[in-house]
Amino acid sequence: MLTNLEYRLNFLTDAVLQPAVTSMIEVTLWFALFAGAGVAEINGFGLNAYLAYAIWSAFMARLTSTWMYEFRMAEEIDSGSINSLLTRPFSFFEYYMSQFMGYKTITTVVSLLVPLLTCWIFDLTIIWDRLLPALALVFYYLLVVQTLSFIVATLAFYLNRIHALTVAKNMGLWLLSGELVPLDLFPEGIKNALTWLPFANAVYIPVGYMTGRFGPDLFLRGWITATYGLIFFGLLAVLSWKRGVARYAGTGA
Amino acid sequence: MMKYLRLYKAFMIASLKADLEYRMNFVSRIVTDIFWYVAQIVTFEALFLHTDKLGSWNLAQTRVFLGLLFVVDAFYMIMLSENLDKMSDRVRKGEMDLLLAKPVNSQFMMSLQRANTAIFGNLVMGLAWLIWSLSQLPDFSWPRLFWLIVLVPCGLIALYGIRFMISATAVIFTRSENLQYMWYQLYRLGMRPDSIYAPWLKFLVVTLLPVGLIASVPSRFLLGPPDLGAFALAVFVAGAFLWMSQRFWKYALTFYTSASS
Repeated sequence: MLTNLEYRLNFLTDAVLQPAVTSMIEVTLWFALFAGAGVAEINGFGLNAYLAYAIWSAFMARLTSTWMYEFRMAEEIDSGSINSLLTRPFSFFEYYMSQFMGYKTITTVVSLLVPLLTCWIFDLTIIWDRLLPALALVFYYLLVVQTLSFIVATLAFYLNRIHALTVAKNMGLWLLSGELVPLDLFPEGIKNALTWLPFANAVYIPVGYMTGRFGPDLFLRGWITATYGLIFFGLLAVLSWKRGVARYAGTGA
Repeated sequence: MMKYLRLYKAFMIASLKADLEYRMNFVSRIVTDIFWYVAQIVTFEALFLHTDKLGSWNLAQTRVFLGLLFVVDAFYMIMLSENLDKMSDRVRKGEMDLLLAKPVNSQFMMSLQRANTAIFGNLVMGLAWLIWSLSQLPDFSWPRLFWLIVLVPCGLIALYGIRFMISATAVIFTRSENLQYMWYQLYRLGMRPDSIYAPWLKFLVVTLLPVGLIASVPSRFLLGPPDLGAFALAVFVAGAFLWMSQRFWKYALTFYTSASS
């Protein structure tokens, strides 16, 4: 956490400026979409519901983004600077997971003000009792998504360049999480399938739950999918790490 | 000028060789952009399941907009993206020293040294989508495509200008990855047709934040009668952003402290 705070502009951009700009863009987009479409409701939800979704989805998506740590982990492996970490009395995974969770905790506290203020200014619908459980689910999901990032980073043991894989993964998550559009705008079958994947826990399930798009059933499904996602990616991470370290020559540093 | 063209040709060839060296990366870059295309298409197709029009455009017209977005984005990705994305890293690692010592314009080197040749495949896909979407328009007049000869480079130059300035902040602040990430949020304004925006925002996205020049303005020239005022504005904005990027680069370099030494 202290390392990140060293670069204050970077931290402030991530914690305040970025969520503020993202929220502003999302609000503008949905206002424009409703004005352009000339309708009061889209798929059973009014402008207020979409604005609430957009504001919180921007916040949650930023919270669950792992690209910065993924690049750093991959760079450590690629450049050989991982050598110094391998000799320490804790694992590479733990080292980055603790950095990641610490950073996300502090940025969440700081940047939570943005969606809260926006909701207050625009009088957007949000079920306050559900805010903390939704945030708890997102933090649980952070373990899943950071593990997934760890898997992508360990591919640097096998491949020379993995930047494109990171971007491809992020693109996939962008669509599957419901950040791009709420999943309930898709046909029912597709929506149902997507909510059985752990990735919907990044945005659609927590945001949909706290903005009242659905009830506790789907929220519970979120905890289940995050759990099997964690088990699945956890096993994959162990496998990828063990094989990667076995073939690592350690000549980079 | 000829020297720079020859230099760029050499960069292209070197980049192609380097890209082919990492074949897995080459393929994954193409796959990545397919994801991106699919995400954009799915977004609009999903929205049009619930409405007939977005702004003043229907689904067929929005598909044309997407085609242009894909094409301009492909050019941007081929020529500029990798260089600008890595600028922060290069500054931090002190790799700029060598570039600054070379007898060529440092902004040229920082912006165009590396081409992403894998994206040529995406350019082909983008063009195919654009041509298909245009063929779906009942009253499309094909000579309108000539407008793109000027408007696509204008969009690209304006996009370059603002993106370069954001990347160049790395020289001043050393670590500005999050500022770079914020750029992608602003870029999203250009990924929606400007016809959905309120007039003030529409003006903003073709002037101060010229992401509207990427696809919205060129699309209007394909979908309706030409607006010479908009044409002149596009040329002016592109020129202005290119000039500003040069000025900003010179300013940013005054902060450079050579991290490697």
